[in-house]
Amino acid sequence: MTEPMASSPAAMTRPAEGRAPGVPDGGRPILEIGDVRRRFGGIMAVDGATLDVEEGSVTALIGPNGAGKTTLFNVITGFYRADHGSIRFQGREIARRPPHAIARLGMVRTFQITKALARMPVMDNMMLAAPEQPGEQLVNLLVRPGAARRREREVRERAEELLSVFQLERLRDEYAGVLSGGQRKLLEFARALMAEPKMLLLDEPMAGINPTLGARLLEHMHRLRRERGMTFLFVEHDMEVVMGHSDRVIVMAEGKVIATGAPEAVRSDQRVIDAYLGGGAAVGSEG
Amino acid sequence: MEARTVTTTAQLPLRERVRELPAVRWARFHPESAAAAVLGVLVVVLVVAYGVHDVAQTGLNGLTLGSVYALGAVGLTLVYGILKLVNFAHGEFLTFGAYMAFLVSVTWGAPFVLGLLFAIAATAALGVAFERIMWGPMRARKAGLLQLLLMAIGLAFLLQNTIQFIWGTQVRSLDVNVTDTVEFLGLRIGQTDLLVIVIGFVTLLAIGAMLRFTLLGKRMRALSDNFDLAETAGVDTSRVVLYTWVFAGGLAGLAGVLAGAVTTVKPQMGFELLLPIFAAVILGGIGDAFGALAGGIVLGLVIEWSTLVIEPRWKISVGFAVLILVLFIRPQGIFGRARAI
Amino acid sequence: MTLPLGITFDAFTDFGFWTSVGILAGTYTIFTLGLQLNVGFTGIVNFGQAGFMAIGAYTMGILVVKYDWSFWLALPAAVLVAVAFGLLIGLPSLRLRADYFAIATIAAAEIVRITAQNARELTGGNQGLFGFEGSWDNVSDSITSGLQSLGWSDPETLFPLFLVVWATALVATLLLYFMQRSPWGRVLRAVREDEDAARALGKNALVYKLQSLSIAATLGALAGFFLALNLNFLNPEEFEPLFTFIGYAVLVLGGLANYWGVAFGAIIMWTILEGTRFIDLPISAEREAAVRFMIVGLVLILLMAFRPQGVFGKKEEMVLGD
Repeated sequence: MTEPMASSPAAMTRPAEGRAPGVPDGGRPILEIGDVRRRFGGIMAVDGATLDVEEGSVTALIGPNGAGKTTLFNVITGFYRADHGSIRFQGREIARRPPHAIARLGMVRTFQITKALARMPVMDNMMLAAPEQPGEQLVNLLVRPGAARRREREVRERAEELLSVFQLERLRDEYAGVLSGGQRKLLEFARALMAEPKMLLLDEPMAGINPTLGARLLEHMHRLRRERGMTFLFVEHDMEVVMGHSDRVIVMAEGKVIATGAPEAVRSDQRVIDAYLGGGAAVGSEG
Repeated sequence: MEARTVTTTAQLPLRERVRELPAVRWARFHPESAAAAVLGVLVVVLVVAYGVHDVAQTGLNGLTLGSVYALGAVGLTLVYGILKLVNFAHGEFLTFGAYMAFLVSVTWGAPFVLGLLFAIAATAALGVAFERIMWGPMRARKAGLLQLLLMAIGLAFLLQNTIQFIWGTQVRSLDVNVTDTVEFLGLRIGQTDLLVIVIGFVTLLAIGAMLRFTLLGKRMRALSDNFDLAETAGVDTSRVVLYTWVFAGGLAGLAGVLAGAVTTVKPQMGFELLLPIFAAVILGGIGDAFGALAGGIVLGLVIEWSTLVIEPRWKISVGFAVLILVLFIRPQGIFGRARAI
Repeated sequence: MTLPLGITFDAFTDFGFWTSVGILAGTYTIFTLGLQLNVGFTGIVNFGQAGFMAIGAYTMGILVVKYDWSFWLALPAAVLVAVAFGLLIGLPSLRLRADYFAIATIAAAEIVRITAQNARELTGGNQGLFGFEGSWDNVSDSITSGLQSLGWSDPETLFPLFLVVWATALVATLLLYFMQRSPWGRVLRAVREDEDAARALGKNALVYKLQSLSIAATLGALAGFFLALNLNFLNPEEFEPLFTFIGYAVLVLGGLANYWGVAFGAIIMWTILEGTRFIDLPISAEREAAVRFMIVGLVLILLMAFRPQGVFGKKEEMVLGD
């Protein structure tokens, strides 16, 4: 069912990136999903999904509305429990683990409707996400206050850096609730990066933001992949983004994975066209 | 994950394993049958241990209590289902109803039936009044869950103490026959208690029929299921909301009169009944009127049957124990759907 | 001075009155600090705080009176029992939605109160439990001597308790304030805002909620101790849900997400509640009691309707309008 990853055809539509140096080629995929099922009420929202994601790749997950993409995201990241099937992250079985444990293993996700913590300042949003903060355990506040304070300083510096990368630094003390939709999307992205993830799952990262902002986000994505070998899996409806920025596309319909492969190959796959037409939309015309 | 779910995410691993046991799986997918089975087993065990007579006798008491609970629970669950309001002041509607009946049939000397009807009408009017004054405007302002909750508590304080201000703390009784009993099948039941059961069941049947068969009832159930969807479908939500309060208030008032008839009338009576009524609501599945009905009767039975096993003064804690058990094991109640999406 | 209707304000110049109001206000400050942590900073609606108070007070009382424990050992033991109860209730019910959690906690608290009422052998039932204040009396006497040596010839009998209650309240407020500004406090606020966002960033929301509940249980137990020492007598009536609701009135009066506001709210609330007791209105005592609680109800309603952030709450951090 899975096809070998295309190396890099059509470089004109995509920044000319290859694999990050040092990332093993042809090794174990970072994410392996085997026959995952999840039922909701009467319907199988995810009905036997099987797919792999290679480390350091950028993969798009597409499909008509109701195909089960967000449900699959939720299952992978532990927010829904899989009724059946296996999910392996870096070789470790993570199905049925709680979401916070999966996040700590290095798989971080963003949400379709941004979860910028509105009643907390932007800086707090950022600092929250940093891993390994001794100050987050009450006991440490008592017995290792120095270590806690040191890490706070480090985290604050890193948060400042990231905020300026995304040009959000002047908003650092504003409550996240006053940010515009696009700024919140950037914040959520930056915040996810604070968590130092190995793999980032983005649920409709482009939805509701203007093209300039969107381009910036994609630019960062590619840079992170290039410089740190970070893996990306995103759900998107914007076909330009999908075609132009992913190494590989996975198509879902009615809870199943119906096609995987290079963007161009998938686009012309009859099964995919049928799935979209069946759902009332043509591939490439989604906005 | 979304506001409509009953639990937040992430279950404990031990729960996982228990949930997957075959018997538990069956129970999860057939909750009504499972509940009936549990109840059946309970009855059998009790009968074996204490004999049919005692079980039936306490069962009768349970039906009396259960009728009051059911009447209170249906109103509470309707208000929750349609308005998403956890009405902590609901108990005070029961108290108000009881005192209205007291006013008319004891203070003014009118026949009991008149007192009863007046109480129902007055409490229904009270419910509508508060909807107009408080709940409607707060909803329009998009007030949050906690805000409404605390407001309801404030209202409960206000109502209970206004009643206490006017009538004092002294325990009153409605002028009903508390000594005469009826005997059948070797069982004995107070005349008034029997009346309570009859009135309760008739009313509940009528309400059930209303919800099931009338247009208004269907609309109420539609709103309870999905308020916004029903609104977009063109249902006149403000009218349905008004009727919801009429029924909630009226039923609560009736419940209060009946409770006052078989026990006493005092300012705290409603609040004392409120938590068991909550238990009935949650047992049946919050938002589900039929569930509340069943939950009320079942709870009444269980509480009275518990007196066979433990000393009567502890029986009220059985209600709370049931509540906690339901919340831990199956928070959506017997008839509720998991609504995980 | 007498106003029309025979209203007098004599009580307000009585030092004893203010001491006793102060003790109640201080006790409920400690009580409500727990609610503030839970509601204002963690987003969990704990309606069972009176239950924790009851567990703290009764465990201490029972250990001292029935089992001859030292008062000073009974105190920490009682706190542990309260925390254990909190964990017992919290573990299964914290995964429930806010309003269900509220109902679960109030049911649990009622079970505690009903047990106190019916387990007569152990708790004295409605007759009450007394005789535990011995060791405290010694401490109180020492404080009184200390005050006398400082020049105060005739100190109010309850003043030592007043001092200790407020010292505790102050320490608790400071501790909570600093804990809140730490990374731990930040995670707590994130859990309040959006549990799933916190989980997606690697935070175990359940553990933080349990910690919050345990601290509230500790504070509830402490409040229970002071209530016990104030009354010298324990009775199930003192632990009705009414008192949790008064705590909430204090909470919203002072303002959510603000620890310092709690003391303010408690002082105002108990001045009203106790003060009206001493205003000689031409109505019966029963009616006065009713009026007092009508005022509490009105305060709750009006605040929620017109100023949900309370006096000191921040509008931006207004946790009530979901």
